[in-house]
Amino acid sequence: MALINLRNVTYKYPLTKTPALQNINLQVNEGEFVAVIGPNGAGKSTLCYTLAGFVPHFFKGEISGSVEVAGMESSKSTLDEWILNVGLAFQNPFNQISGAKYTVFEEIAFGLENTGVPREEMKSRVEEAMKLTDISNLADRSPYSLSGGQQQRVALTSILVMQPKLLVLDEPTSQMDPIGTREVFGVIHKMAKSGMTVVMVEHKMEWIAQFADRVIALKDGQILLEGKPSEVLTSDLLAENGFGVSRYTSTAREAKKQGLWKKETLPVTLDEAVDGFTL
Amino acid sequence: MHERLSYYVKRDSVLHHLNPLTKIILALSIVLIPIFSPWYWTSHILLLLVIVPLCFAGRVTREYFTSAIRLIIPAAGFIFLMQAFFQPGGENVIFKFWLLDITQESLSFAFRISTRITVMISAFTLFLLTTHPNELMTDLTRRGLPAQFAYVIISTLQILPQMQAKAQTIIAAQQSRGLDTESTFLKRAGSVLPLVGPLVFGSLVEVEERAIAIEARGFTSKKVKTSLHEIPDRSVDKLIRGGLVILIIISIVLNIWL
Repeated sequence: MALINLRNVTYKYPLTKTPALQNINLQVNEGEFVAVIGPNGAGKSTLCYTLAGFVPHFFKGEISGSVEVAGMESSKSTLDEWILNVGLAFQNPFNQISGAKYTVFEEIAFGLENTGVPREEMKSRVEEAMKLTDISNLADRSPYSLSGGQQQRVALTSILVMQPKLLVLDEPTSQMDPIGTREVFGVIHKMAKSGMTVVMVEHKMEWIAQFADRVIALKDGQILLEGKPSEVLTSDLLAENGFGVSRYTSTAREAKKQGLWKKETLPVTLDEAVDGFTL
Repeated sequence: MHERLSYYVKRDSVLHHLNPLTKIILALSIVLIPIFSPWYWTSHILLLLVIVPLCFAGRVTREYFTSAIRLIIPAAGFIFLMQAFFQPGGENVIFKFWLLDITQESLSFAFRISTRITVMISAFTLFLLTTHPNELMTDLTRRGLPAQFAYVIISTLQILPQMQAKAQTIIAAQQSRGLDTESTFLKRAGSVLPLVGPLVFGSLVEVEERAIAIEARGFTSKKVKTSLHEIPDRSVDKLIRGGLVILIIISIVLNIWL
């Protein structure tokens, strides 16, 4: 069943001339893990905001086409309903900390307080969510005293605790060091495995190749390519259009020109590259 | 980097278990009653018989005396001296120095005012020491204070130290590139100006992101909010609040009457 259904979506931010999204058609099934890639200004964040209901409910602007997510239609629903079904997390962990709470436990409960969840249920849901993301040991710390990776996991937990049907992530690891990235991906992978639908903007190709079921390449607000990670991430079109490409892919591409790469397909991850070169 | 973000001291005491609104009204009545009371010794009595016992009841004696030494005594002392020297009128000169003179009247007035100031600051110090800001705001929100207003207060308390840290980072970064922060005042003021831009504009950009982040967690949701912590509001609280309001009214009436 399609959880996301975008048809001919075109969107323009207020006071801008060119649309940020143009004729986007996108269907995502329940339980699917979709990665979105694209250069700066390609409309990745706008796509995230559209899926999360912030376009057009928060940003205003002009939208055409139809946006359906989790049975809601953007023209007929409010942001209030939307946030109960879709969780949104983004780059900077620091800005996602509400600033209204003094401990991690309270921080995670913030969303539940706002949506009127009874106290007992709230406590058990927060505890459960913290176990899931492995941050139970941080419960009494101040959210501001944590490392970036820990803060991002707190931000993710405070979204997950609201039990959304769709998780939208806008470059959640772009400000993390390798350890932080691994921690955050660990959580996302766990969620995806448990059957949650995930749409994630990400630049780290090797991680995408490992986890995503499908990759969408955006350019100038339009979908340039769409398909399996192994196909999209190694496509020649990406390199030509200024997308970041995994170093293993570009190395193998050069090697292929010299006749050193024997395989039909190009690698994205280190393991695939090692496999191909040791043939 | 983690700084203490409020004066609150976590203890298990009678004062901590009172409802925040009860404590506000208690603090307010300690401020108002000496102002209205026509009796000279009111604030002195309050200091000895209310403030000091409350310190013990709240189990924050040590913290209270720390702030008394740092803040309350210097403030009250300054006001005492100002009033003693500059309060006009009075006949019985006790001490004369150049144009300044201390009279018996100005001295007794200064004593009254400085004690009153001591009592006022003490009342609110005790309130801050025994009330968690979140508890206060949750309680006031429940009583009808707009959630946005409460959020602004609470998040400012938390975000200010963060902004301070960021300002330090920017200054350190500029200093390492040769920014002059140690010469004359004017030069320094001129060179600090370019630092304000990144700090202010950076903070403005953050505001939008934070707005989205809290919106994604239902900040403006129309549902009735619940709260994680239960906020005490026993019948004792209502009794105390009622009693205090009556005391305030009595002191106002006495003030007009006498």
